Amino acid sequence: MATDIESRRDAILTAMVRVVGRKGYDATSVADVIEEAGTSRTTFYKHFDDKHDCFLASYERMVEQVFDTIVAECDGERPWVSRVRKGLETLIQIFALEPELARTAVVEVAAAGADARKLHWDAVNRFKGYLEAGRELEPGKELPEQISVMAVGAVSGLIFDELVAGRAEQLPELMPDLLFAMLVPYLGPGAAADEMRRAAQAA
Amino acid sequence: MVARSQRERALDAAVDVVAEKGYAATTVADLTKEAGISRTTFYEMFPDKEACFLAAYDAAADVLARRVAAAFETEAVWPARARAGLEALLGSLADEPAIARLALVDFGAAGPAAQRRYRAALLRMTPLFDEGRDFAPEGRRLPPNTSRMAIGAVVGLIADEIAAGRTEQLPGLLPEILFATLSPYLGPEAATRGVSEER
Repeated sequence: MATDIESRRDAILTAMVRVVGRKGYDATSVADVIEEAGTSRTTFYKHFDDKHDCFLASYERMVEQVFDTIVAECDGERPWVSRVRKGLETLIQIFALEPELARTAVVEVAAAGADARKLHWDAVNRFKGYLEAGRELEPGKELPEQISVMAVGAVSGLIFDELVAGRAEQLPELMPDLLFAMLVPYLGPGAAADEMRRAAQAA
Repeated sequence: MVARSQRERALDAAVDVVAEKGYAATTVADLTKEAGISRTTFYEMFPDKEACFLAAYDAAADVLARRVAAAFETEAVWPARARAGLEALLGSLADEPAIARLALVDFGAAGPAAQRRYRAALLRMTPLFDEGRDFAPEGRRLPPNTSRMAIGAVVGLIADEIAAGRTEQLPGLLPEILFATLSPYLGPEAATRGVSEER
């Protein structure tokens, strides 16, 4: 049955993301992953060449799932500021509910080789693309080309710090600050601080 | 004196070999060969490859931080102080692409300890940004994390360039870097004006 094979592959991919987030990439073995997935070594090697191959597949699938969830939650949101807030909230909630996924997505990926870091980079770029709509907010203003790199850089730096410190569950408390970081290059400190205050009141 | 130069050679070797082979593929044998030191000497100085790499990372971060701080002090008032510091940072990274790549892109390969070193090194740049608070019209409403955000924005831009293989062109990125530094404090319009005045 094709669906059965597919679901076993999925279970391995999900297990890989969890185990790497828990133990770190280097310390993770194929034995850990098949134990977590409740599958056999034979099944693992039917689908993947090795740990690295499996990790890359698991990372790609995780990015798709996270991105699909964000787009589904906030595509209808208008204006742009609401869309950014909703998107950021969705991401932060996913990370807070699944700290292991968050660590794999943001921290451990760096240990999995240059091709894994490339996948991380591509994922960050997709978020940047999604943000680009913000430019239409201020058509007359001359903002630098890389403004979305700055916004995403500021936000991911803050998230990275929290995850390395083991505070994934507390990320939602940082939501007002993250929103400020995301909006400030576009709107300036005054308007970004207003949005930050509103987010703090809503929390 | 001799012990120190052996240590320095080991640290330089860690930067060069890791830049060439990647962290995972680097062995202690590679490091001793590149540094021209014996295995015994290596293990007298470091318990393992990771310790040597982390020491090399700290040493590189120290050199960068000292250059940035020295440049920062050549000016009296922010944002000129920030511009001088950032110019020194971009120039230093462009001069040493292997260190730049290791410091800001490939550091994660060495695991969680290296990641903590990376964040600690970045946060040493905080003073460059924090003085902006005194010049911000909305200074008291800015979140306490503003300098961390600005650092994230600046490092995001720099890492993008390094990952794209444009390390040597980093000094040309100064206007964007300056915008990222000024805009959280002054707003986009004033930041754009500040960037053109600094040119």
